[in-house]
Amino acid sequence: MKRRSPVFSSALTTIREHPVLFAGLLFAIAGAITTGILPPLVLEALINRLTEGKAFSLFPVFAYFFLLTASGLFDASKESLITIFGQKITRGLRHEMCAKLSRLPAAYFQKNESGVTASRFVNDVDTVEALFASGIIGMAADFCKVISILAVIFVKSRGLGILLMLAAPLLFALTRLFQKRMLSAQLVNRAAVGLANNHVPETIKNIRMIRSFHKESFMEKKYGNYIRQSYRAVEKANFYDAVYSPIVITISAVFIAVMMIFAAKGGNFQVFFGMSAGTAVAVIAYVGKVFEPLESIGMEIQNIQSAVAGVCRINEFLREEERDVPQNEMELPKEISSQPDSSCVSGDESSCPGSNFPAAELVNVSFGYDSGQEILHDVTLTVMPGDNVTLVGRTGAGKSTVFKLLLGMYRPWSGRIRIFGTDADQIPDGQKRKLFGYVEQTFPTIPGTIADQITLKSPDISGQQTKKALETAGLWETVNAMEKGIDTLYHPGLFSQGQLQLLSIARAIAAEPAILLLDEITANLDSVTEEKVLAALKRASEKRTVISISHRLYLQEGGRRFRVDGKKGGGESEDMIN
Amino acid sequence: MEGEPRRIENPERITTYFRLEKWTLAVITVTGIFYNAGMTAGPWFEGQLAQRLVDIIAGKKTFSDMVLLALLYAAVIFAVQTMRYVKRLFVRRFANHINRDMKQILYRSLVHKKKEELEKESVGAMMTRAISDVDVCVEGMRKFTTEIFDTGVVMAAYLVMLFFYDWRLTLLSLCFPPAAYFIAEKLKKTVSRCAAESKESAGHLNEATLDRVGNALTYRVYGQDENRNADYEVCLADYEKKAVRANIWETAMQPLYQIISMMGAVFILWFGGKNVLGSGWTSWDIAAFTTFLSCFAKLAAKSSKAAKLFNAVQKAQVSWKRIQPFMQETEPEEEAAAGKPARLQVSGLSFSYPGGAPVFQEVSFLAEPGELIGVTGPVACGKSTLGRVFLKELPYQGSIRLGGRELSEMTQAEISGAVGYMGHQPELISADIEENILLGDEGNAMEYLRAVCMEEETAQMPEGIHTTVGTAGMRLSGGQQARIALARTLCHRKPLIILDDPFSAVDRKTEEEIMNNLRKLAQGSTILLLTHRLTFFPELNQVIWMDDGRVIVSCHEELMNSHADYARLYRMQEKGGESHEA
Repeated sequence: MKRRSPVFSSALTTIREHPVLFAGLLFAIAGAITTGILPPLVLEALINRLTEGKAFSLFPVFAYFFLLTASGLFDASKESLITIFGQKITRGLRHEMCAKLSRLPAAYFQKNESGVTASRFVNDVDTVEALFASGIIGMAADFCKVISILAVIFVKSRGLGILLMLAAPLLFALTRLFQKRMLSAQLVNRAAVGLANNHVPETIKNIRMIRSFHKESFMEKKYGNYIRQSYRAVEKANFYDAVYSPIVITISAVFIAVMMIFAAKGGNFQVFFGMSAGTAVAVIAYVGKVFEPLESIGMEIQNIQSAVAGVCRINEFLREEERDVPQNEMELPKEISSQPDSSCVSGDESSCPGSNFPAAELVNVSFGYDSGQEILHDVTLTVMPGDNVTLVGRTGAGKSTVFKLLLGMYRPWSGRIRIFGTDADQIPDGQKRKLFGYVEQTFPTIPGTIADQITLKSPDISGQQTKKALETAGLWETVNAMEKGIDTLYHPGLFSQGQLQLLSIARAIAAEPAILLLDEITANLDSVTEEKVLAALKRASEKRTVISISHRLYLQEGGRRFRVDGKKGGGESEDMIN
Repeated sequence: MEGEPRRIENPERITTYFRLEKWTLAVITVTGIFYNAGMTAGPWFEGQLAQRLVDIIAGKKTFSDMVLLALLYAAVIFAVQTMRYVKRLFVRRFANHINRDMKQILYRSLVHKKKEELEKESVGAMMTRAISDVDVCVEGMRKFTTEIFDTGVVMAAYLVMLFFYDWRLTLLSLCFPPAAYFIAEKLKKTVSRCAAESKESAGHLNEATLDRVGNALTYRVYGQDENRNADYEVCLADYEKKAVRANIWETAMQPLYQIISMMGAVFILWFGGKNVLGSGWTSWDIAAFTTFLSCFAKLAAKSSKAAKLFNAVQKAQVSWKRIQPFMQETEPEEEAAAGKPARLQVSGLSFSYPGGAPVFQEVSFLAEPGELIGVTGPVACGKSTLGRVFLKELPYQGSIRLGGRELSEMTQAEISGAVGYMGHQPELISADIEENILLGDEGNAMEYLRAVCMEEETAQMPEGIHTTVGTAGMRLSGGQQARIALARTLCHRKPLIILDDPFSAVDRKTEEEIMNNLRKLAQGSTILLLTHRLTFFPELNQVIWMDDGRVIVSCHEELMNSHADYARLYRMQEKGGESHEA
């Protein structure tokens, strides 16, 4: 099963989208090659006249300079267009990678460190930029240059042409050998650099632990190991990088020497190698030019190879298994889609005509994150609109997992999970906010203002809604007292642990969701703050379906309990109405 | 070179690094001079070869003369290129060494900073950036070292050769490269402004990427994927525009400079041709003509690159300026030996954040080795702050004596040997479970996992104790993270152990088991249990109740009688706990 490299197809798409640009690039390359190849021929004519002792006009002098100028201009436009093109390709690539994020299953984010994924976007795509800016396109141009120069040499000195053509495969084999050796070194280096880069922010996060355990030197050694891994790999790559170009230049000198010897031999060789002084000068210039692109390939081997390593990693990323992105709009129950405030008394179904379905339903669900490690076994739970259910069970029994399943982040191994009658993993992302408010145990903040923490930068949530959410959460006063109010830039330390939980509640309820999922909400708080949070939750829970996880303490009124216990096999539900 | 990272004196001076690499630099200097002086051999030999061909055709020289010259040419080029290889290898090695040394110094100074220091004025973020700046700085140093020879020495060599052939023609044709350089200098401001803009835009893009990837699941759960993708596209568009502009200024100008530099070629062809014909300033043969032309072309190409050298050096300087403030060598540290059980004596302890009101005042208590002391109170009562005071991150008033020694007079290593701390955040590193517990020490991590009731769970993981925990332990649940942090604290047992909310994410039954293990494992250590869960408080030796700066040191029974708030809290939890167990 050999699929085409996604990076490559992305580049092709970019070419197809910008035909004029691409044509311009081809034209500039062709112009650069033609005007680059001609000056030695002018020189040849001039020198031949000089050896014969004849006077010459200004014409070849200016022709020579004109060709140099034209070649320079073509080169400049070639470079610019390659840059523009390289940027378009990398932009296209980043765009596709970003779109891919939306299609990745939740498991991907759980398994892969975000720093590593981000480095694929940043570092690896940057190497692709280098690959295109000074790599592939430039190399293709150089290749054409080699071919046309070989053609000229063939005409001028057939013997040398044949020699060069025989040598070309050998040189190519040598180049490939170097490329392969360097690729493996580069891969090792990239991996080590990734680890080292990850180590720094981690140290900053864990600095208190490191200090209090006096583990500075342990961490330093760990960092040193990453650096040394990278050092050794770079050292290896450096060897090949340093040796390639001298080899090529030495070979070209050997060719010139051989050519001159044969040219001087006379006799039969004269037919093959015979030339005038002018031709000799021109051909020497050409031999240099044949190896020039090869040498520049040598110079760029390092760039190209690291890009290949980067491309492999990007391909890997783009080939990650995808989730089925739900497409079909789900029909929302009436009381959600129309008027969030419409009266829908808890549990009283007759007054809510749209809610014939349970708000959330698990039917014989079995699930685990890794195959062979079952966490939930045959769990069945029905939550009617307006219900208030608390999941209880030991640590690690799978309570949070139930939430993740309800949110459609994972698909169960067997059984079904339905939200208002629709399969949880078939609910389009765009509709989720109307359905769920999810208060996590820790509050993941995003860069931006306080308002951004609540809206998550969604344009659909108005300032009024944000304010209302903060009021319900009991945080409006605090925020309003700040100089810039909700537009205050959020930074760690702005809020206490308890206030963060209130903020988390505000985020969850901002879009007036039908179902509130509360994960261990009071776990990190002392009893007094807990009361404050509970009061906020009580306000937030009004007219909503609430499913919560709490190890203890959450004294809900009129709720019921559901015991999650994966290990025992049965998701036996022990409803206990208080 | 391998093994222990080396210590470096005067790391804040850039010359230090050149001095450290003096042997590498010596090799670079010798090979660099030979190689670059040898660079003139190419054009010279090529001229001679053409001339010899003319002479052979004219019958003045023989075939064997040509063989000799050609072989000599190949041999000389081989020697010169060998020098070049050695030089290139050592220049890269030089850069590689400096890169490693600088990063390690930066890291060392980072890892020895206090939490407060890192949070102040985003020092942490600045240091992270400084570490990535090292690459740019070293690249500039490498280019500088390379170009001293490849531009400086080689240009001098070419110049000498040109003047030797025809000084008037040399002066005439060399009017132009300085003009190219002058223009490049004029445009430098624009070039560097565009480069700065592009770098800034790249920074925004990176932030956007980290946000998009790091919070991917949050955005998904809230249905914001499409909005965020659209925002990301805006960053991409901006970056494309600015990067293209910066790159064009930097690369596309090179061929144009070269055109200007090459204008001198017109004079060389015209007057040089006249030289050969015998009607010029000096008398030339074909060899002189081709050597002169080819030398000039190489010189012109070099001088158009000189501007690039200055750019690289300038970039390196900017990076170095950002790195330099963090280049401080730390004192070699002492080993932190775990101290012996000691009596804890706190008297008149007060604490306030710099410029703030006192968080608590006049705390006094006495704890014998093996005592368990509970600390509790309402929100923001300062119990976490009380716990952190023992880490000596900020100065305190009053006295904390451990085994008779004042905490503020102890070194960091001594404090680490005396005080174990487990905070709110589990602070796990991206390594496997075992390494997170042992932190590089010898020991049996399983024993401690058992103590925190995680042995079974760990065994069920695909790779058992060698399962990696992910960045910040994200592959584990909150409860698992907290228990590993607790296991780590137990593994590195100290005479005084401070546990800030250690049971926040475990259920009551597990808490009970862990608590019993804790008593067994930590015999002889004084434990300060900062928590809002009061289940075990009746069994504790002392209870400290903190409320609004007031601190009462007592025990459970007395507090139940004398403090309504405490009693209310305790009863509320008891009730909640019981119904939970039903």
